[in-house]
Amino acid sequence: MNAGLNLVLAASAALFAVGAFALVARRSAVLMLIGTQFMFMAGCIAFVAFARFGLGAVNATSGAAVAIFAGATAVAELAVGLALAALIFRQHRSLAVDADRG
Amino acid sequence: MPVLLIGALPQPITSAPLVILIYAVLVLMVASALASVLLRNMLYAIGAFAATMVLVALLYLTIAPFLLFAVQLLVFTTVSAALLVGLLRQTAGLDTTQEPFSREWIIGAAVAAALLALLVLVVATTSWPIRLTANAGPGFGATLTNSYIVGLAVLVVIVASAALGSGLLLAAPTLPSPRGGRSTSPSPRGGGSASPSTRPRGPRR
Repeated sequence: MNAGLNLVLAASAALFAVGAFALVARRSAVLMLIGTQFMFMAGCIAFVAFARFGLGAVNATSGAAVAIFAGATAVAELAVGLALAALIFRQHRSLAVDADRG
Repeated sequence: MPVLLIGALPQPITSAPLVILIYAVLVLMVASALASVLLRNMLYAIGAFAATMVLVALLYLTIAPFLLFAVQLLVFTTVSAALLVGLLRQTAGLDTTQEPFSREWIIGAAVAAALLALLVLVVATTSWPIRLTANAGPGFGATLTNSYIVGLAVLVVIVASAALGSGLLLAAPTLPSPRGGRSTSPSPRGGGSASPSTRPRGPRR
């Protein structure tokens, strides 16, 4: 029993699929943004896994650096998205992204 | 020009306690992420989201440099959870509406299952190239401040711009709704209701 590249990549794929489900299935802007966060995190985990176990092991710290960049970009995206969600709420008294539908 | 690398192949983790910890963290991470998108109470969903971020940090602790674990735990998790809770406090309150089950859930499950099957198929059928590892190389902090100094500066600008922009958006006055909906603009100074001349108006029809 060991933990290698394929195990971490499979978990990363599962996290990505959960994020995609949130994006497609939920109408709340908050939950959709949470879904995008999961997809970002899945990418970060894949980067770190390749850096630790795979080709990136030649320069293992580069994968972690990319993970930091992707994580910070995800937080910035969350900040802007939540501000937009707040504006949607002020207009329509609802956090649903299709609240302006007749 | 090819570079000759001398060292050992990157090996999977075989230490039994560490392997068990990684399996547990991965299973709990996916389970809490699923709970986060399935729970109907928004506060519980945000709690599950924060738990997922903490579990990702724990995964980083086992396979990545310590700095990444610290940044994930102290910066990304804290900021994300604070932003989400702050939005809920400003909008719908901490006990929000219950979203009913709808047809989109089936479509979303189908899309997610197809994506997962595709990704797992790729992971299972690909033999990832592995190279010999060189020496340990520079530390993580040195890599960030030497090789990626430009990226780091750009990142600081992006995050600062996002913070500034979101603050301005939240502080901006509400535009009139296209359907003549109720505005939530703050009342003018001195209290009382806004005079007709200061009230936001909808577009004429």
